[in-house]
Amino acid sequence: MVGSPVLFVAIPLLAAFIIPLAGMMWKNSVRVIPGLVLAFMFFLSISLMGYVNEHGTIVEVLAGWKPPIGINLVFSPFTGFLTTLMTFLGFIVWLYSYKFKRNVDFEPSMKYFMLLMLLVTGSVGIVLTGDIFNMFVFIEIVSISGYGLTSFYTRRDSAEAAFKFLFMGAIASTFLLIAIMIIYSQLGTLNIADIADKMPMMNHKLKVLSLVFFILAIGVEAEIFPLNGWAPDVYTEAPGPIGAAFAGIVVKAAIYASVRLVYTMYDFSGAFDLFIIIGLITFIMAETTALRQDQLKRMLAYSSIGQMGLVMIAFGIGTKEGVYAALFLMFNHAIIKSLLFFSGSYLVFNKKNKYIKHVNGMGKYLPITSVLFTIGAFAIIGLPPFAGFWSKLAILTAAADNKMVVLIAVILIISILEAVYYLRVVNRIYFYDKKEKTEPKKPSINALVAMISLGIIVLVIGFYPDLISGILDRAAADLMDKGNYIKDVLTLNK
Amino acid sequence: MEKYLNILNIAIYGSAVLLMLIGLYGALTKKSLIKIVLGLSILDSGVHLLMIAIGYLKDGTAPIFSPGNEDKMNIMVDPIPQALVLTAIVIGFGVTAVALSLVIRLYRHHNTLRIDEIKKLKW
Repeated sequence: MVGSPVLFVAIPLLAAFIIPLAGMMWKNSVRVIPGLVLAFMFFLSISLMGYVNEHGTIVEVLAGWKPPIGINLVFSPFTGFLTTLMTFLGFIVWLYSYKFKRNVDFEPSMKYFMLLMLLVTGSVGIVLTGDIFNMFVFIEIVSISGYGLTSFYTRRDSAEAAFKFLFMGAIASTFLLIAIMIIYSQLGTLNIADIADKMPMMNHKLKVLSLVFFILAIGVEAEIFPLNGWAPDVYTEAPGPIGAAFAGIVVKAAIYASVRLVYTMYDFSGAFDLFIIIGLITFIMAETTALRQDQLKRMLAYSSIGQMGLVMIAFGIGTKEGVYAALFLMFNHAIIKSLLFFSGSYLVFNKKNKYIKHVNGMGKYLPITSVLFTIGAFAIIGLPPFAGFWSKLAILTAAADNKMVVLIAVILIISILEAVYYLRVVNRIYFYDKKEKTEPKKPSINALVAMISLGIIVLVIGFYPDLISGILDRAAADLMDKGNYIKDVLTLNK
Repeated sequence: MEKYLNILNIAIYGSAVLLMLIGLYGALTKKSLIKIVLGLSILDSGVHLLMIAIGYLKDGTAPIFSPGNEDKMNIMVDPIPQALVLTAIVIGFGVTAVALSLVIRLYRHHNTLRIDEIKKLKW
């Protein structure tokens, strides 16, 4: 083994605290350190994935207390897949924002990179941890750094967006604590595998109550419909790359948490129907709202919420094909939505309110960025030969296997709406004339590299989906195999 | 004795739930940002009290295996909820501090603390 999963939490956390100290000696280190750390985490995650494929799940015991007493980290094909995705996106976000605020002050960029490191720490921690209270702590790390990043720009209405986010997040965290305490008072354990093992003993009413509190709490971060009031504001007001970090890293971690609850911890099948209903409401509401937005980032935010609804639907189907489709969609959404946020924020750079009409005629002025945005738009609609096509096809076939005809119809109808509002923007980019006199901002070289590599991934996965279908298949099988998870953690066959 | 214990239980759990309801009421209905933050903080305290109550044991001792105390395992209070509360208090403190700093920012930006005058962002 090359390294242990605990490094995924320890190293970025350490880096977040070292950044201001190192910054005192060499100012550029605040930009360099996060990149090195994220690149290291990405390579560590890939090599651990290789190890896991050969030797099975790694269970890392912290502080010498074996589960169920101590805290443990679980690096399985499923959590490993998400960790790889998150660290990769973290690296891309760092690459994109390398020159962020370069010409302004030293202090804002230092804070930005510190909070970014904390955001990655928390998200990866949520995915790796095998203890629900530990998960609560990581969710709080993500939330608090999220509030900080949202209110980054003092000029905009960012404090208002951050306060909204904080209000919902604080109530959600108390709900999460209540749910954890219900579980603990009934089963006397906090370890996820142990809870899953003992769950049949629990009083049925309290089981439902605790699940409701869990879903309410995690739903805030996972952008489930009635709880996602913060999301559009945060995506609009936060710095551009942070929108991508939220869509690609934070929300994925929250979806992981809710999936882990329903698939592993709880043992009733009604929860799957709940997932489908929540997902459908979220999907329909978000996509119809996205249709009438006139600000680009808000439109992307609602589209992001809608995609999360689709992921919930796919998880709710409950078969292995459904999980496969959901994981594929999570991967695609992380890559494509980051590409859209990156290229979109250059298309409306420095424009007040970031209206969609500001992209008029940008095809001539920013050719590469426009092409990349178009690739992203086509991919997220699900046009072949882009990556999004395969994930949508996987969801539809998974639904068809279970004879969910209405579901297929709804997904297809809403997809048309999605096509309408994305193609509207693409139409404006290429076939409208630019009215304003201001010169558009050319993307810096590092941002261009980040965007182009995402665009290449979208195309490559579109032409060769088999490249990742093996990984997704193993991850889906790992999630479905609840008994194996419990056995791996509780018996510790290292 | 039994009755006394029952009343005590109701008093502790009841006050925890009451605190949570007061906090939720304050957070959801008040218009002043400071009062909202206060409400969130009261809600937090209610949950903390609930957590402590779950680990409570009448006539319990501290969960330390000191010499001469090895056989008292049955009457030791559960240390885990206390450890959790300690963590939760620290997190709650951090959230309150961030919330108050955001309130200061909002006040400087809008010159008011009333939430119905700050609504610029809408769904």
